[in-house]
Amino acid sequence: MDVVKYAFFSYGLTAVISLLVMGVIVVISKALGNTEEQKEM
Amino acid sequence: MLETVIQLFPGIGSLFVQDTTIAFARVFLILFGFALAYFGFTRALEPLIMVPMGIGMIAINSGVLFLQAGNIGTIFLDPLVEQPDVLVNIMQVNFLQPIYNFMFSNGLIACLVFFGIGSMSEIGFILARPWSCMTVAIFAEMGTFVTLVIGAKMGLPIGEAAAVATIGGADGPMVLFTSLMLAPKLFVPISIIAYLYLSLTYAGYPYIIRLLVPKKYRAMDVEVEIPQVSKKAKFIFTISICALLCLLLPVAAPLIMSFFLGVAIKEAEINPYQELLENTLLYASTLFLGLLLGTLCEAQTLLNPKVAILLVLGITALAISAVGGLLGGWLVYFVTKNYNPVLGIAGVSCVPTTAKLAQYAVEEENPFAMVLPLAMGANICGVIVSAIATGVFVSTLFIVK
Repeated sequence: MDVVKYAFFSYGLTAVISLLVMGVIVVISKALGNTEEQKEM
Repeated sequence: MLETVIQLFPGIGSLFVQDTTIAFARVFLILFGFALAYFGFTRALEPLIMVPMGIGMIAINSGVLFLQAGNIGTIFLDPLVEQPDVLVNIMQVNFLQPIYNFMFSNGLIACLVFFGIGSMSEIGFILARPWSCMTVAIFAEMGTFVTLVIGAKMGLPIGEAAAVATIGGADGPMVLFTSLMLAPKLFVPISIIAYLYLSLTYAGYPYIIRLLVPKKYRAMDVEVEIPQVSKKAKFIFTISICALLCLLLPVAAPLIMSFFLGVAIKEAEINPYQELLENTLLYASTLFLGLLLGTLCEAQTLLNPKVAILLVLGITALAISAVGGLLGGWLVYFVTKNYNPVLGIAGVSCVPTTAKLAQYAVEEENPFAMVLPLAMGANICGVIVSAIATGVFVSTLFIVK
């Protein structure tokens, strides 16, 4: 793979992993947030 | 007579027997070290790094003496020793050698700094606007990938181009860690350039902000509600992300673990550990980091012809990352209409410098605007994206021809 293609590939991969991490953060915080709200009710 | 004087004052005398270029470079570096320490003192540059680095630079280039077998050197440290028996002997003489070999050249010092940064990071800020924070952080990593291409086109081997490109991530420990792994012969100049430029972001970034964001938009306040997330939730997603990132990017696992362990200790409220990380370990590591970087600035090291290329690439990477971050800020603004584009600069993960810069830039136009929590969220996302980019480089660079 030449360096230009690699730059696109690695930037894309970084973005995908970053968004995946954010997805995990959002899902866990919502799931645990809801559980605590239910407990309070 | 002259020989006696040279022997009596080897620091000065060695200037007359060394190669003229090296002698001039030593004098230049002594003056440069003086300037760094002074600007650290005046707070024009980051004092935590620049004062020890400047003094280290002065001392290593002044304290030169005649060693055995007619060699010229110092009794600070020798970064090139590899043979174990020679290393053991030299540790009895060079006072910084143990710290260099056991903390610096294996990346431990970068991890210790990350412990401290993690323990100071409030991960809850991300949850105010998670996708916006991550979007600007991804855009703010642009300098890294553009500089990789520029560096390779300028003739650097791909590992060296990638190492210098990580300056675009604006994360000192990350640059140190990557350059140790990908460009061990150039890690000294790359790390010095990174820390020097990171100190200069305070001076340069406000101009880029004013250039790319008109006054009317800089003054915008952002309505934001920070969701109340329990410590338990934050602790669980901290350790979950740590596990996920270590699974995906094992080569960056030491840095990832260090950062998230710091965050986890803060969220678990283990106060003695948090105080240790935040008040002692972080500052001790930063002190030795600055001092060692300074003492590694020997004239021979910086006379490497590649240093000029690194200087250009370093500033290019940081400038493109700033522009990228602000473009990300504009994108989020156009999509949501409730976002100040200035916040894009905080995606450049120079914690907490760029977050503070965003707040100052907004405050200048609107003293009542408070964007710091959102800026800190983008800042922490910047650290995460930089760690991911580092891991991607180290894991996949072999596929480049």
